[in-house]
Amino acid sequence: MKAIIGLGMVLGLLMILPAIQYALAAGDEPGEYLDRRVEIWGLFYRLMIVAFTVGTVVSGMIVWLVLRFRESNPKAKQTEYEEAGTW
Amino acid sequence: MSGHSSWPEWVYIGVVVALLCYVGAEAWNIERIVEHVPADAEIIKVTGQQWLWTFEHEDGTKEIGELHVEKGKAYKFEITSKDVIHSFNIHDYVVLLDAVPGRVNTVWFSPTEAGEYHIQCREYCGLIHYNMRGTLIVEDKGA
Repeated sequence: MKAIIGLGMVLGLLMILPAIQYALAAGDEPGEYLDRRVEIWGLFYRLMIVAFTVGTVVSGMIVWLVLRFRESNPKAKQTEYEEAGTW
Repeated sequence: MSGHSSWPEWVYIGVVVALLCYVGAEAWNIERIVEHVPADAEIIKVTGQQWLWTFEHEDGTKEIGELHVEKGKAYKFEITSKDVIHSFNIHDYVVLLDAVPGRVNTVWFSPTEAGEYHIQCREYCGLIHYNMRGTLIVEDKGA
């Protein structure tokens, strides 16, 4: 298992390092004309979509957990500790 | 815990980690693209001081409080300060960078529409900070 993890890490590094090098080297070339308003606001809206998606999933799951595992839920089952009376 | 399946938790963690990776990679990439200055960008030296902005074009022309640029051309601002920290902001073109004494910060932009736009200091720099303003005047080519 350790050998597989080690091999995976080495292969991962071999994939990641050239990508980083390529990306950093691109910084030395002259850039192209672009509208920074479009790029920056576009990024903002995309990240807002991600933020609200994560917020919806996390808060939705908390609401579901609270409703599903409340004591008064007809589907609620006692835990093994409650059944044994040790809690 | 016996009989407990953890695969939904791993899916949940995987999705959240993937989204976070996407956020980091996307932000880093856009920052890299936006910071790439075109080779033919004209350099404008921007100096902030309490409480006005001074601009110096490549040909030596100086302007105070007003900056005239040409539509469709790229400009690289070299921003510094003479006294305290200011922040150079052209809100309509999403240009925002600190002006720090003893340091030159650079940012570039290319105006796309002719007109007048506000320049404003965005770092509290003293009593008249609120009025440390300027005007960006974008003119059509050959105007």
